Amino acid sequence: MKRELERVDVPNEHDARVRAWGVVLAAYSERKPVSRPSHWSRVAAVAIAASAIVAATLSSPGRAVLDDIREVVGVERAQPALFSLPAPGRLLVASDTGVWVVQQDGSRRLLGDYREATWSPFGRFVATTRTNELAALEPDGDVRWTLPRPGISSPSWAGTETDTSIAYIDRTGVRIVAGDGTGDRLLLPGIGGLLAWRPGPARMLAVASPGQVRVLDVANGRLIWRAHASSAFPTAVSWSSDGKRLLVSYPRSLRVFDALGNVPLSIGPGAAPIRAAALAPSGRAVAYVMWAAGQSQLWIVPRIRPDANVARTLFTGAGGLDGLAWSPDGRWLLATWPDANQWLFIRTDERGIRAVSNIAKQLRSATFPRVEGWCCAR
Amino acid sequence: MRTARDERARVRGAQEGSVSDLEALFRTHWPRAYRAAYLVTHDAAAAEDIAQESFLAALRALDRFDRRRPFGPWLHRIVVNRAIDWTRARRLRAEVELTDTFHAPSSSSASPGDDVLAALAQLPPEHRAVVVMRHLLEFTPGEIADALGLPRGTVNSRLRRGLDALGDEL
Repeated sequence: MKRELERVDVPNEHDARVRAWGVVLAAYSERKPVSRPSHWSRVAAVAIAASAIVAATLSSPGRAVLDDIREVVGVERAQPALFSLPAPGRLLVASDTGVWVVQQDGSRRLLGDYREATWSPFGRFVATTRTNELAALEPDGDVRWTLPRPGISSPSWAGTETDTSIAYIDRTGVRIVAGDGTGDRLLLPGIGGLLAWRPGPARMLAVASPGQVRVLDVANGRLIWRAHASSAFPTAVSWSSDGKRLLVSYPRSLRVFDALGNVPLSIGPGAAPIRAAALAPSGRAVAYVMWAAGQSQLWIVPRIRPDANVARTLFTGAGGLDGLAWSPDGRWLLATWPDANQWLFIRTDERGIRAVSNIAKQLRSATFPRVEGWCCAR
Repeated sequence: MRTARDERARVRGAQEGSVSDLEALFRTHWPRAYRAAYLVTHDAAAAEDIAQESFLAALRALDRFDRRRPFGPWLHRIVVNRAIDWTRARRLRAEVELTDTFHAPSSSSASPGDDVLAALAQLPPEHRAVVVMRHLLEFTPGEIADALGLPRGTVNSRLRRGLDALGDEL
């Protein structure tokens, strides 16, 4: 009889199992209380995590169950205001009212009505954009120079103490201008996407576009390496501070490259969106947010290795975490949480979490502000 | 080969936060949980919900689980009771059982075990549950009686009648 019962063809067993595992894993992550940080680490293979999230997305029974287990949005006992940053450095934040510099002591200064911003290599200046203008500012808001160009986006500033360059994109393609605002030139006509200079002398530029990732030597125009990529528009590109690793993320995948274009870490593409990703300053770790069934899970791969990458969950919350930034010392992650109107400062060694509420109001923004970078301490 | 000690270690690991141990438990016990729910309900969507919710119920009670007990029977007991509850609720809703979820297969499109499924369909759900627990999940009659809150004699009679009916159909 046992054999007879085991030979019954049970429909969709595999799909049901994959969906159920996603829901069970999500519930397991919920099981840990945030107030017990020593218990919130969860270890899982990256592939397992990705498939589980995908499963939870696809599962209508899963959605129903997750609705039941979903918690109130936001971390309880959050600070009502940002009194200080937990690590040295300063934040650049873009809000409705413009770009702000947030100092470590929590003080904030509005630089002006700009849309995007990036730090100069040593944090002495800020490059900002409006729709048709690139500008270089002092951190107190004084304007050093401006450059009118149509449809400017994705500024990236790199260089040495004496020689820096800003790369940016406008309607003509990828362009470069010297740090003093001179010598503006077109580097790659007709190319869009996101840019990131390799730290150090402004020579190697990563260009992430729909369909491919390129690293160029701008001194001689030589292509150093190129890799095929998602056809979607990229969501993030950044180098480690030693220039040995490059993160490129797309809406459903991310890859970490080494300096030669090899890929020691690849996640996705899967059905679950990757809402945010950030490479640790050391390049040894990467954090990313996957979204499924109304929840965001913040994962960290603490040690990127070509042979085996293991991820663990740092945080799970209802709604969407949509931005990540590492502190310059690599000990903290800032995760932005619009649905809770909170910023979460999470220790990457899982020893603590600090939540700050009322973020939009503090930065006088109707929409939730976007963190552009957490820069070097002065 | 898995041992009871391995299973206890996995339960302990899952209690302490190990996703890999949780996954090992899930991989081990999901197939039978889902199959048992399906054989009782004859409804794949319901079976998925029941098996999934049973795992979640087990997860909620995990911290209180006595590791000296085997995990599988504890989980499967939850599954079968939920499956019985589902079939009773469905009857109360006066749905026409089997018409939309189970069709006796034609000979040209028969899947493996369709004859068994058709034979089980002739039994009341409570009898199906007893047969499934005894012959798929390998509970003893005493354990079934305990799990379902039935007298031992009732379990034995349901088993006998279930097997007779299946024998006739098969």
